[in-house]
Amino acid sequence: MISVTPTNQQTESLDLDNLTAAQTALEIRNLNLHYGDAQALHNISMAIPKNRVTAFIGPSGCGKSTLLRCINRMNDLVEICKVSGEILLHEKNIYDKDVDAAELRRRVGMVFQRPNPFPKSIYENVVYGMRLQGVNDRRTLDEVVERSLKGAALWDEVKDRLNASAFGLSGGQQQRLVIARAIAIEPEVLLLDEPTSALDPISTLTIEELITELKEQYTVVIVTHNMQQAARVSDQTAFMYMGKLIEYADTNTLFTTPTQKQTEDYITGRYG
Amino acid sequence: MDKLNMSRHISGKFNDELDAVRTQVMTMGGLVEQQLRDSLLAIETSDHELAEQILQRDYKINALEVQIDEACVQIIAKRQPAASDLRLVIAIFKTIADLERIGDEAERIARVALESFNNDHQQFLVSLENLGQHVLSMLHGVLDAFARMDLDSAYDVHQMDAQADRQYEALTRQLMTYMMEDPRGIPKVMNVLWSARSLERIGDRCQNIAEYIIFFVKGKDVRHVSPESMARAVGKKEQD
Repeated sequence: MISVTPTNQQTESLDLDNLTAAQTALEIRNLNLHYGDAQALHNISMAIPKNRVTAFIGPSGCGKSTLLRCINRMNDLVEICKVSGEILLHEKNIYDKDVDAAELRRRVGMVFQRPNPFPKSIYENVVYGMRLQGVNDRRTLDEVVERSLKGAALWDEVKDRLNASAFGLSGGQQQRLVIARAIAIEPEVLLLDEPTSALDPISTLTIEELITELKEQYTVVIVTHNMQQAARVSDQTAFMYMGKLIEYADTNTLFTTPTQKQTEDYITGRYG
Repeated sequence: MDKLNMSRHISGKFNDELDAVRTQVMTMGGLVEQQLRDSLLAIETSDHELAEQILQRDYKINALEVQIDEACVQIIAKRQPAASDLRLVIAIFKTIADLERIGDEAERIARVALESFNNDHQQFLVSLENLGQHVLSMLHGVLDAFARMDLDSAYDVHQMDAQADRQYEALTRQLMTYMMEDPRGIPKVMNVLWSARSLERIGDRCQNIAEYIIFFVKGKDVRHVSPESMARAVGKKEQD
């Protein structure tokens, strides 16, 4: 008997409507979000599985970045923003009054479109979060730096110049440094908001390769405008349009046989 | 055409590329159909001249296959088609491979037509004619279904293959009887048998193309599935 194994790295598909508690990293329930009078998210419900890469795709203004920001309460900083509904992390609603946003952001890390290293050395960038937590033991910090930079596939390139300024790195290296900074504090979930849109194709591939490795330890949620990237790196994909979740499915299925016409039109580049 | 939604791409050039490759497939299909029709006629009328023409025309089909392959590779490389566009390109890839083989089978039949048959053989040439016309209508039907990407006609062609198989079996039994009755005629009868075999294979290939059409329209792979799951896939009650 010849066994047929998929050639890509994607893991077997899950039943996204019926994930067990052990399989679930995040559960979003009836999430609505208003910026003043304008509603940006309409009743979003979805479960994001653990140790997998979930991609949000959709045209500009569809709400995918807004949804991503909800997951670590970045929208708290926007005054006119009002959120209703629940996002459960370990069955605890992160919008409950007793949840500390800083603590939440330690557990849910985020990387943005443009690399934003601090004006410090490579070393200090990585340990920034640890120092904020009051960890100053040199040996612990050294270990964290090595582990995080290795995790972000940057160690070999910078190990001899850890005290050099982070601004001396290339864009792709800076973005990996930012990822190293995010994983230094060992979050459970890593949110990536268009992490490669400011990078060249080679750096993009390095980051994509990294994402595939990261999911072994973290749950990754990525927003991307590059549909091929979503198809390459994610295990499941959510297509959003006008603040609504139109289709959420296994990536292999969504890119070959989407069930919704709007999804089909978007991924094949047709007029909606 | 509407079902294909072909003209609605934001990129007009992509529309043109897909349109061009579909037109080429239809051209290729038309050529193959002509080859099969002529080869049947050549056998029926013992027209050696026509048979020769068929042999000389086969290169056109092969050349089109190469051209279309190339165009599909370009589309995949440049456009990274997804969803229905991807399924269309894949369906085209597979369809033209089957069309090319149908062309080869027609050529094989034309070679048989170059043999001389006498009146004794006329009777089994008539049975060949029946199978031939049935398979020809399958090919015509499946090309028509491909042009319109029509699920129902594709399914109908798929169902027609059972009859082609039955006719082929009946013909084989009949030819065996001839061989037993008159061993001296075996070489001639064998030639007819090869042609019958070619026609039966063409039926199978039309069935394959029908499956690619269903794959394009429904996104479901219906190769090697039971008739029940096939009927379910196209949303029909099983016929027969």
